[in-house]
Amino acid sequence: MPTTTIAAENLDKSFSGTPLFSGLSFSASRGLVAVSGRNGSGKTTLLKILAGLARPTSGRVHIETEGAAALTPSERRLAVGWAGPDLELYGELSAVENLHFFRKAAGREADTADLVRRLAAVGLAEEAMRRRVEEYSTGMKQRLRIAFATLFDPPVLVLDEPMVGLDVEGRETVYRVLAAARERGPVLLASNDERDFVDPDQRIEMKGSRRRGA
Amino acid sequence: MSALARAWAVCAKDATQELRRKVAMVAVFFFAATALTLVSFAIGPFGLPAADRPALEAALLWIILFFAAATGLPRAFVAEEEAGTGLALRKTVPAVVVLAGKSLFNFVLFLAMALITIPGFLILLDWKVNSPLAIAATMLAGGYGLAVVSTFLSALVARAGQRNVLFVLIAFPLILPLLLTAISATIVATAGDFPTTPLRVLLAYDGAATCGAYMLAGVAWED
Repeated sequence: MPTTTIAAENLDKSFSGTPLFSGLSFSASRGLVAVSGRNGSGKTTLLKILAGLARPTSGRVHIETEGAAALTPSERRLAVGWAGPDLELYGELSAVENLHFFRKAAGREADTADLVRRLAAVGLAEEAMRRRVEEYSTGMKQRLRIAFATLFDPPVLVLDEPMVGLDVEGRETVYRVLAAARERGPVLLASNDERDFVDPDQRIEMKGSRRRGA
Repeated sequence: MSALARAWAVCAKDATQELRRKVAMVAVFFFAATALTLVSFAIGPFGLPAADRPALEAALLWIILFFAAATGLPRAFVAEEEAGTGLALRKTVPAVVVLAGKSLFNFVLFLAMALITIPGFLILLDWKVNSPLAIAATMLAGGYGLAVVSTFLSALVARAGQRNVLFVLIAFPLILPLLLTAISATIVATAGDFPTTPLRVLLAYDGAATCGAYMLAGVAWED
């Protein structure tokens, strides 16, 4: 399997002139990258920048796959799977309808049997998959977020607080997803709970306007 | 999969949401029905001097259509941001595709509203249309431009504070030429002629709006 590398080069992010972090650089090709730091240290913002959902004030993010041509903007969009606490899916649609829509709108085939399999893999019962998402509990929504993040089998996975609201079984499900994903490529996981980082291969500690690599 | 098929997926998703939630649809149709009823009671079929009727009726019709549309069309992107679904959409679908899909949905919503409003206008105000084909062409060209510009502006203001005020302020200079031309075309069509010149202007407006929206979609909605 070709190796995909995500690399950040001198990332700076400021809000209204106040720096959140600066000079942040790292590179990851496979395994778990633990992103830790206190509240407001910039974990969520960093992950959104890596996922292409926010722009850094300066610096660049590279995503390269060994032996492959440079990614087009559309490919790059789907190459990084992302889920975070502020990710919401359509409440009026069921989980299957949500995933079906995102596959279609992204220009990919949408096979219902495959979507059902993906939702079952994150622990959603078949009856729940057909219910509107607005009827879901916090934990069920979190499982759906994980299914969304892995919907396009991205080589890079970026998850922000994926364990929030999950019961023990849900956490084990996410650990399984993480274990499989870190074998394929880099997984960046941000959390306030050290227990979420199982044998991290690399650490990024956010310290407000400074970052320490380890 | 073609960009059109992807835009259609966005349009179908919006339609499904709207059919289940009925927020924009109820607001648009309720406003259109209320405005039509008020106009018909205030003016009625005989309340206007015969010589002024074509111009006043055309203006009233487009005022009703515009303000009814203005209650629903700007919600296209604003609803995504309010519901928090904008991030998922930006993560997976290019802004141009989202804009095309949402414009298509808004265009269909406008046509549905026109299909209900115009028969009401014909009956309640005894509106005489001598060239129904020209009216249909005017509705198509005017409605398309209104849908594209409203949808684009919705993308532009979706993440701004005071978005409703901002929408009106930006929409006024952009939509005014379209409305004035659509009213001119409707006056000509009411008289029985084909409004070739106003329709050309409307089509040029539609083309310019489409190109502008296509080029600026990413800037307007993506970070």
